[in-house]
Amino acid sequence: MNSVSQSIDRVDGKLKVTGQARYSGDHSLPNLCYGYLLQSSIAKGNIQSMDVSAAQHSPGVVAIFTPFNPLKIYSPAQAGEEGAISGDVIPLLQDPAVDYFGQTIGFVVAESFEEARDAARLVKTEYQTQPAIVELQSGLGQAYAPKSVSGMGATVSVLADGVTSIDEALRGAEVLVSATYNSPIEHHNPMEPHATTAIWNGDRLTIYDATQWVQGQQRNLAAVLGIDEANVRVLCPFVGGGFGCKGSMWMHSPLTAAAARVLNRPVKTVLTREQMYTAVGHRPTVRQTVTLGATKQGELTAVKHEAYSSSSRVKFFAEAAAHRTSLALYKSPNIVVTHEIVPLDFAPGTFMRAPGVAPGMFALESAMDELSVKLGVDPVELRLRNYATAEPVHKLPWSSKHLDECYRLGADKFGWSQRRPEPKSTREGDWLVGHGVATALYPAHRSHAEAKIRFQSDGNVSVSAATHDLGTGMYTVLAIVASEALGIPVQRIRPVLGDSGLTLAPVAGGSQSTASVSPAVVAAVDSATKKLISVAVSGAKSPFSGMKPSDVSYANGVLQGGGKAVPFEAVLAALDRSAVEGSGTASPGEEEHQYSFLSFGAQFCEVRVNEWTGEARVTRFTSVMDVGTVVNQKTARSQVIGGIVFGIGMGLLEATKVDPNNGWIANRNLAEYLVPTNADIPHIDVEFLNIPDTKFNSLGVRGIGEIGIAGVPAAIANAIFNATGTRVRDLPITPESLLVEQKGMA
Amino acid sequence: MKAFSYTLAVSTEEATNAGTQSDNNAGGTNLVDLMKIDVMDPKELVDINQLPMRGVTLDDGVLRIGALEKMASVAEQPEVVQHFPVISQALLKSASAQLRNMASIGGNLMQRTRCGYFRDVVMPCNKRVPGSGCPAFAGENRMHAILGVGDACCATHPSDLAVALVALDASVNLQGPKGTRSIKLDDFYLLPEDTPDREHAIEPGELITGVTVPQTNWYQRSAYLKIRDRESYEFALCSAAVALDVDGLKIRDARIAAGGVGTRPWRLPEVAQALIGKRVSQETFEHAVEIATKGARPLSQNGFKVTLLKRTLTRALVHVGGGVA
Ligand SMILES: Cc1cc2nc3c(=O)[nH]c(=O)nc-3n(C[C@H](O)[C@H](O)[C@H](O)COP(=O)(O)OP(=O)(O)OC[C@H]3O[C@@H](n4cnc5c(N)ncnc54)[C@H](O)[C@@H]3O)c2cc1C
Repeated sequence: MNSVSQSIDRVDGKLKVTGQARYSGDHSLPNLCYGYLLQSSIAKGNIQSMDVSAAQHSPGVVAIFTPFNPLKIYSPAQAGEEGAISGDVIPLLQDPAVDYFGQTIGFVVAESFEEARDAARLVKTEYQTQPAIVELQSGLGQAYAPKSVSGMGATVSVLADGVTSIDEALRGAEVLVSATYNSPIEHHNPMEPHATTAIWNGDRLTIYDATQWVQGQQRNLAAVLGIDEANVRVLCPFVGGGFGCKGSMWMHSPLTAAAARVLNRPVKTVLTREQMYTAVGHRPTVRQTVTLGATKQGELTAVKHEAYSSSSRVKFFAEAAAHRTSLALYKSPNIVVTHEIVPLDFAPGTFMRAPGVAPGMFALESAMDELSVKLGVDPVELRLRNYATAEPVHKLPWSSKHLDECYRLGADKFGWSQRRPEPKSTREGDWLVGHGVATALYPAHRSHAEAKIRFQSDGNVSVSAATHDLGTGMYTVLAIVASEALGIPVQRIRPVLGDSGLTLAPVAGGSQSTASVSPAVVAAVDSATKKLISVAVSGAKSPFSGMKPSDVSYANGVLQGGGKAVPFEAVLAALDRSAVEGSGTASPGEEEHQYSFLSFGAQFCEVRVNEWTGEARVTRFTSVMDVGTVVNQKTARSQVIGGIVFGIGMGLLEATKVDPNNGWIANRNLAEYLVPTNADIPHIDVEFLNIPDTKFNSLGVRGIGEIGIAGVPAAIANAIFNATGTRVRDLPITPESLLVEQKGMA
Repeated sequence: MKAFSYTLAVSTEEATNAGTQSDNNAGGTNLVDLMKIDVMDPKELVDINQLPMRGVTLDDGVLRIGALEKMASVAEQPEVVQHFPVISQALLKSASAQLRNMASIGGNLMQRTRCGYFRDVVMPCNKRVPGSGCPAFAGENRMHAILGVGDACCATHPSDLAVALVALDASVNLQGPKGTRSIKLDDFYLLPEDTPDREHAIEPGELITGVTVPQTNWYQRSAYLKIRDRESYEFALCSAAVALDVDGLKIRDARIAAGGVGTRPWRLPEVAQALIGKRVSQETFEHAVEIATKGARPLSQNGFKVTLLKRTLTRALVHVGGGVA
C-alpha cells in the first residue's frame, strides 16, 4: 500500500461540509440550560457588591453564581511557573479580587443563551478600583528575570574560550547592527468559540468540551471539581481551530460542570467572541533587542538577543522569543539570550501558534536582513555563511537538516536572482515592489503515545487514540498511517479520536501529534496482526486452525498460510468474532540525547507598497519546508498555507488594542481585530523536501502545524524594506509607518 | 437585548406615526447588531421592508434611489455604474458581499459609528449617554476623526456611500408625520459639537424614503479610493470620493469629499475650488489638497491621518484626472 506522501482528501471532510460533524456547542439535550460568563469592567480592584436582584427576576434565569455565592472550584495543580497548560491559576469566582479587565466575576445560568446574556447585563457590580498597569512600556520598571524560560534559565550564555562577556565580543566585532523590535498582544481567534456541555450522571461527568487535550482536560477538571479522574469523560471529536487557546483548561469549563452538578441539569456554555479576548489566553506582547556582531565577510561573531514579554500578574507565561530562536538558528562562537517578564494587570497569556518562535524570528530575521544591508551581502548568502551544522548550545548534531536546500530551491522557485537589492528600485505604477526572505524553524517535539488497532468483521479497521483533529487533518493522518502499515486502502480505515477514554496521547500542541501518535499506530498494527494470527490458529472453525503462528502471515488485509489466503473479515466471520484488537506504544528514546530535532524552512515574499498611501500587500509567497516525511501532501500543504496566512496577519494586520488608561480592549470582535481576508492572500507556493527524519521516529515525521508562520512577518518586513527603504520594526506594519516622504509618480 | 414589540408596517404613514421610542428595521445589519449589545434599545421595532421605497431610476438628469434598495443591487445598476462610478465603487468597497445583500441604502446612511467605546455599554460615551465623557481622546483613537472633532466626540461616521453622495451634492427625501421634505445630505449630517447624540437632522417619526443625485455628464469621471489596513471588509482609515470635469488639460469643475477622517462625511468644497481653472498636474493636486486638513485636530494615535488624507486625495485625483505627465 502506498498511502504515505500522497495527496488524500480529508476523511472527515464530508461530515464537515454537510454539517454532520458535531462540535462541542452542537449538543442539545433534554432539560439543558445555558451558562453565560459575566466579566469585570475594571482592570484592578475589588468587587464591593453585586446586586443580582433584577437579574434573578429576569425571565428564564435558573441561577446566578458570584464571588458572594460561588461554585466550589479547587485550585488547579500548579505545574511550576510554566504551568499554563494546567489553565487559569486562580480559581475564579472564589474571592472578590479583580486582577484584569474581562475577568470572570459571575456565571449566570438560564433556560436560553439569550436569557442568560440579558440577565448578566442586569447584574449591578460596585467596584473599589485600584491603579492598573496594562501596557508593556509602563510595566518595564517592574520587569524581572523568571526562574525558567522554555525549560532553560532566563539567561543562556554561550561564550568562546577566553571571552568574558557578550558585550566584549560585540565590542570586538568588525560590523555591528542593533535594533529593537516590538510585537503586540495577539489573539488566536479560532472560528469555533470555546464551548462546553456538561452532563452529570450521578457522580460521573460527561463533558463535550472544545479542547486540544481531552486527557489533560479530564485530569484538570477532576482536580478542580474534586472528583476522581476515572469519573470524568471528555469528548471532543471535532475542534474548529485552536492555535493554542484550547490547549489549557480555562475557567468556563469547570464553572459549567460545577453549575451542572449543583443544578442537577446539563449546562452548556458557549463563549462569545468578545469574551474570548480575556477568558482563553492570548500571545503576550514582546519587546526584543537584537545585536549582531559580524566580520566584514558576514560571519557572525556575537549574537545578543534580549526579550521582554508581558505576563499577567496573576498567571505566569513567558513568550520565549529569544530562547527559542537565537539558540537554534545560526552558528556563532558567542550567543547570549536573556528574557525578562513584565507583569501587567492583564488577562493570562498562553501558547499561540509558534509560541516564542513567531515574534522571535521576526526580530532575529529582521536583524539578519539589516546586517545583510549593512554588509552588502545577499540575504540568502548571508544565511548560508552562518549555517549551523549542529545545535549551537549543546553542539548536538541535527537529526536531519536540509535548510540549505530549502534556501536554494526556494530562491530558484521564487526567482530570487532577479531581485534588485537596492531599495525602491522596482515599481509598478505607484506601487513599490520589494522582495524579502526569512528562515522558518520550529522544534520537533515528540511524546509518549499509545494507539489501538481493531480489525472488524465488517472488513474495516478502526484506529484510535485520544488525539485531536483541530482541522489539522489528524483523522486523515491516522487513516493513512494505519493504511500504510496494514496494507489496506484508506477508505477501509475508521479513525477515532477526541475521547479521553481512548489510549494515551499528548496535547495537540507543539506540532507533535503526528510524530507522537503515528509510531504508536505502527506498533499497534504489529500487535493487532499478531493477535489476529494467534486467534486464527487457535479457533476451531478458523481456516488456519491448528497451524503454528509462525506459519501464518498477514499482508494487505489477508492472512496466508498452508496454501490458503483468507481476508481477515472472513476469518473473523468463521470464528464468529466481531473484532480483534491490539494496542501499541511508542516513546522517544536514546536519540533524545544524541541529536537535536528541528524543522526548517525558507520563506520568500513579494510585497507591493503604495507610495502615496503606504498600504502594503503581499503579492507572492514561496515557502520550501524541511519537515521530515510528509504523511499527506494535501493537508500538510493546507497546514503550511494556514500558517503563512496567520503570518501575513501577524505581519500586517493583527493587534489587540488595549486602552492604556483602563485595560479595556477596543477591538474584541472580528470586524475590528483584523485577520486576513481572501483579498489579502496571494497565491502561496508550498514545497516540501519530504526527506524522512528516521532518527526522530520510524516514519521520519516531524511537525508542520506551527512552522508555517515562523518566518513570515520578517520576510514581509524585509520585503517592505526592499520596496521602500523603510525599516519597520513594530508589528503589525500599517500604512502610518510607510507614509514616507512623497515621491513623484512614475 | 431588551424586550421590544415588533410591527410590520404596511404603509409609510403607519411607520411614521410610530411612537418616539420606535426604530425602523431595514436590513437590520446595524440596528439588530446594536440591540444585541444593548447599545440601542427601541421599545418598538417597526419593520419597514414592505414599504414602497424601492427602485433606481435615472430620468431627466436625476438619479433616484429608493431607501430600501439593497447596497448590492444599487452598486450593480448599469445607470449607476456608468454615470456615477463613484457611488458604485463606494458601495462595492463597503462591508462584505453578505452584508451588502442585506443592507439598505437608508440603513447605510443612518448607521452608527464603529467607535468601540460607543459600542460597549461598560464604557462612558457622550454619544450614547450624553455627558458621561469620552475615553477615546486619551485612549484608543487610531481609527477616529481628525476633522469636525469637538470636545465631546471624535468618532467617525462610517458610511462610504455617504461620502460619495455628499461629494455629488445628493439630497435625502424624508417623509414624516408632517409631510415630505428634501434636504441636502451635507446638511443632514450634524457635527457632534456639544450634542454628539444627535447625528442627523431627522425629526421624530421621519423616514428616509430615498436619495436623489443630480446628474452631470462629467460624474462619469469619478472614483472612490478607500485606504484601509486590509484589502477587504474593513472600514476606511481614509477615503476619497472625487469627480473631475476636465477640458483638455484644464479643470473646469470638481466634487470632492473624504471619509474615515471626519465626524461626518466630509465634503471638501475648498479643495474643489482650488482646482477650478488649473491645469491637470500632480503639482496642482498636491497644492489644492493642502487646504483639506485645515482645522484638523489630530489625536494621540491618528496624527498620520493628516498626511494620509492629503495623499489619499492626491492619489484619487491623479487616478481620475489621468494623463498626468
Ligand atoms: C462587519 C461590518 C463591516 C461593515 N463595513 C462597512 C463599510 O466598510 N462601509 C460601510 O459604509 N458600511 C459598512 N458596514 C455597515 C453596513 O453598511 C450597515 O450595517 C448597513 O448599511 C445598514 O443597513 P441596514 O439596512 O441593515 O440598516 P438597519 O440595521 O436596518 O438600520 C440601521 C439604522 O438606520 C435606520 N434606518 C434604516 N432605514 C431607514 C430609513 N429608511 N429611514 C430612516 N431610518 C432608517 C434604522 O432605524 C437604524 O437606526 C459594515 C457593517 C458590518 C457589520
